[in-house]
This record gives sequence, structure tokens and C-alpha cells, in this order.
Amino acid sequence: MAAPARDLPAVTTTRESGPRRRGPRDIPRFLLLCLLAVIFLAPMYWMVATSLKAETDVIATPTQWVPLRPTLDNYREVFTSPDGNILRWMWNSFFVASVFTVLHVALCALTAYPLARMRFKGRDTIFWIILGSMMIPWVVSLIPTYLMMLKFNWINSFHSLIWPGLAGAFGVFLLRQFFMALPKELEEAARLDGANSLQVLWHVILPLSIPALVTLAVFAFMGSWNNFIWPTFVVTDIDKLTLPVGVNTFSQRYVTEYGKLMASTAIASVPVLIAYLLAQRYLISGLSTTGLKE
Amino acid sequence: MSLSLPRENVPPRRRRGGESSGLVPYLYLLPFALLFFVFVVYPVGYGFYVSMHRWDLLAETRPFVGLEYYRNLFDFSTPQAQFFWNSMRNTAFFTIVSVPLLVATALGLALLLYRPIFGRAFFRAVFFLPGVLTVSVMGILWRWMFDNQIGLVNAVRTDIFHLQPLPFLSTEGLAWIPIIVGTLWWTIGFNMTLYLAALGNISQSLYEAAEIDGATAWPKFRFITWPLLGPVTLFVFVTTVLASFQLFGQTLVITAGGPNRTTQSAIQYITEEAFTNNQFSSASAMAFMFGLVMLIFTFLQFRIMARDAREGS
Repeated sequence: MAAPARDLPAVTTTRESGPRRRGPRDIPRFLLLCLLAVIFLAPMYWMVATSLKAETDVIATPTQWVPLRPTLDNYREVFTSPDGNILRWMWNSFFVASVFTVLHVALCALTAYPLARMRFKGRDTIFWIILGSMMIPWVVSLIPTYLMMLKFNWINSFHSLIWPGLAGAFGVFLLRQFFMALPKELEEAARLDGANSLQVLWHVILPLSIPALVTLAVFAFMGSWNNFIWPTFVVTDIDKLTLPVGVNTFSQRYVTEYGKLMASTAIASVPVLIAYLLAQRYLISGLSTTGLKE
Repeated sequence: MSLSLPRENVPPRRRRGGESSGLVPYLYLLPFALLFFVFVVYPVGYGFYVSMHRWDLLAETRPFVGLEYYRNLFDFSTPQAQFFWNSMRNTAFFTIVSVPLLVATALGLALLLYRPIFGRAFFRAVFFLPGVLTVSVMGILWRWMFDNQIGLVNAVRTDIFHLQPLPFLSTEGLAWIPIIVGTLWWTIGFNMTLYLAALGNISQSLYEAAEIDGATAWPKFRFITWPLLGPVTLFVFVTTVLASFQLFGQTLVITAGGPNRTTQSAIQYITEEAFTNNQFSSASAMAFMFGLVMLIFTFLQFRIMARDAREGS
């Protein structure tokens, strides 16, 4: 752990030791993988294909495997639907997830720092209490938190989507482990130069921890963006919905109009697919390094 | 900041760097502590308080009723008890069926993918990709795949295999298939990635030594790969069980818990009781009961799996 994952993009999973040549033995394995890939991609294909069909073609028999008369009407209707504005929901999701991510990462860093690099009374107890909170199933606090939101008048407000989840134990744990592994010589050098603890955190610890901070940010953003259950209950105002909830209201409205439904799910998928392609390296390596080394 | 100034001029006699005492560490912890108490600690106590009172949003008074709502959960003449334990049974069924599939399939995919092969990065991305979709998109997608008449699955059945279309979504028992298949598709990449990381950490020299002794693929897997994957398997298993127990979005979107509540999950029923029936006390009691079952389950799992890991090594 001396050089803690500085090479994150190189992903632990790509570490191949021993030269293994590709040979004819690999052909069955390759074909099997191709078959599985086709099965995995089929739902996505069917989503796009359906979204490009007119409603009469969606229910046509025999099945149209490929849209014979492709049309963008479904997309046009989803974008201009009076039942809700999908671009607005996307923006809401983006706004909530961004604010949440910035606050969450900052809060976790502030909390992990003393827990990892200072000595004080009760440090380990505090850490174990935070960690222990992961054992509480969230459903236990679902109803009381909802009642609190009512009392705070935070129903239909983004406050209810941002504040309750901020104090997450996982982020503190992740950053603490990372901070602990940093060499103390750098910190001591900064100290001798007269830096106070906040300056050490800002100029020494955080710059060295970018891989961990990015990993946590990606998890926080994805978690907030994809959150479905909680917003379902605290947001009912059509203009305040987040994307997952908004798309689901479409699904209740267009029960049988699968063309429109698939257009809306395709639109909802685009941002996450782009984000995934951009963050792929961090996402997969972050997964592989969360406490599973050794 | 200035709080620590006097100390800065003192030669560094601190152990392990950083301030050794004073208020500073607690100041750092303060923002987290505030949020932690308001949104993590307090709700648990508040929820318990709610479950012990007859809570009505519109009523002036909220009389204390003690454990009445907990007792009701064991009085099977009430619909609450019937529906709650029915939903718990459904959740347990889903967990028991889906977890072995989720663990075994993830391991299988990882074994197929960890040695270099043409297009490996592409395959890995394809298997991971569905996991980034939000649960409502995933649910709508699989509801459409298994649509009673014209979903892709029934289209393949009728047009290619000349079978009758099956009304998956509205048939008791069959309705689990879209939910389980959809969940498999949605979450497999996550577990696969964990397994890939673990496989990458196994030293190649172990296999080389085994090859010298003439070991073939199966013994190599049985005596090297599988035992060394023990810790990851424990992790994957426990997290998958916990996640499966929290089943909610898939059943809500794909089947809405139907037909006849046969796919209604525990959390779905708890939220129905709270937000549709406005029975917050009863729902709180159910939430605690659910939480208790989960805690016991988690505890037992760790005990059993930890023992197995010790014996295995």
C-alpha cells in the first residue's frame, strides 16, 4: 500500500502475470462470450427498436425485429408531453446529484481526516459508531425521516433529496483507509514549515487522494442520480421530480404505449451511459479497490 | 485555525503527526456529527416512538399504545399480519432463488473474462453496462421484454419456436421470472467486477506449479482458484443477500406486486401501509420487524461464513 493506487486507471483486474498466448483453444470461449453479449444487449436493442416504431408497428404480428418504418414521433411526443418535462427532470437529477456529491465528498473528507491522522480521545469509538450505522437498514429510518421532512416543510423540496443522505458511513470509511496509507513524512515536512492542520489537509492530503476522492464522487453521484425509492415519496410535484421517478410516472400513464415508454427510457439512459463511458476506468477500479485487497 | 497556532512553534514531539489533543479534531467532526445525529441516530429513536403510539397525521393526540402494533403483526386475523408476512415470504423466496444465481453467474463470467481474449474490454463493458441504469428504466424495460402478448420473449416463443405466448406478468409464479431475470441482467456486472479483481490478485506461479504436477483445469479451479476466492465470495454473498432483501423497485415497476400480491416485496408493503394507507405506526412497527430479521440474518451469515473461511484455510 506504499503507493496507494496511484495507478488506478490501470485497474487491478488487468494485471496479467505470465505470458498466455491466444490460441485456437480460445475460440469456444470467444463464441460463448459473443452469445452472452448478444443476450445482454438484446433488451437495449429492443428498447431502441421499439422507440423508433409507430404504435401500430409495435403491436404488429408478425413481430418487426427491425423497425420497417422508423420514426422519431415517439421522441417528439415525449419531449413535448404535457404530462411532464423529461429535460426538466434530467436537470433536477443533475442538480441534486451534483450538489449532493460536492457536499458529501467534502463532509466525508473533513470527517475522515482527523479519524485517520490525528490522535484524540474517543477517536476509535467515534469511528466504530459511524461504521456501525451501516448495520441499520435504511427502511427503519424511512418513515421517521419522511415525518421529519413533513415537519421541516421539505416535501417537494430538493432539501429532502440532499440532506438526509449526506452523513454516509461508507464515504468516511473509504477516505479514512486511504488517508491512513499516505506517508507521514510529507505531512511532517509541511508541519515543520508551519502549516496548520487545515493547510495540511488542503495542500498535502487531498491532492494525494484524488483517486479516492474521484471514486467516492462517482459513487455518490451515481447513487443520488439513480435513487428511486426516497424521491418517490418526498417529491410529488411534477416539475420537481427526478428522472427515475419521472420516467416511472410515464410508465404508469402510458401503460400500453410502449413506443413512447421506450423513447422515454432511452432518453433517460443516455446520460448514464455517457457518464459510464467517461468514468468507466474509475468506476471499475474503484469497485475493485474498496476493501477487497488482500 | 488559530486554535492550534501556539502549538505550531513547539518542536514536533507529537506521535504519528497531527495535533495530539485539543479541540481541533472535534471541530472537524462537528458538521458530520450534526447531520449524523439529525438524520441517522434520531430517526431510529423517533421511528420506535412512532411505532409505540397511534400516529395519525390529522389527529391532535397520539396516544401511547405500547407494543400493540408489534402484537398485531402476529395476529393473523388482521390483514396487516397476513400481507406483511406474505411480503416477507416473497422477499425470502426472491433472495433464496436469486442469490445463488447472482453469485455463480458472476463467477462464471469472471472466469470467462479474466484471461486475455480479443475484445475483453468490450465484453466487460457490455456485462457491466446494465448496472448503471436506474431501477425504473430497468423495470420498464423488462416489463416490456416479458409483455404478455408482444414482448420480445413471447415474440421469440411464437415466431421462432411456434409456442403459445405465456402471460408472464399476470400468472402467479411466472411473474417472478421477469423480476429475477431482470435483476440478474441488472446487477451481475457488479459482482463480476469484484471477482475479476480477486482473480487478478491470484499469483500465476501457483497455477504454474500445479501444471508441473500435471493438474488440469478442474483441479486447478477446485484447489487453487476457489479457496483463494473465499473472502471475495463471502463479501459478494453477504452484500448480494442484503441487497436482495431490500427488493423494491423491480417488483414495483415490473409487476406492481401482482398478481394477487404474489410478488409484493416487504419494503413495498411497508411503504404501501405508510404512504397509501396512512398507517405510519403500523408501518414503523413492520420496518423495525424487517430490520430485526435483517440484522439477525446478517449476524448469522457472518458467523457461518467466517467459520467456513477459517476451516477452509
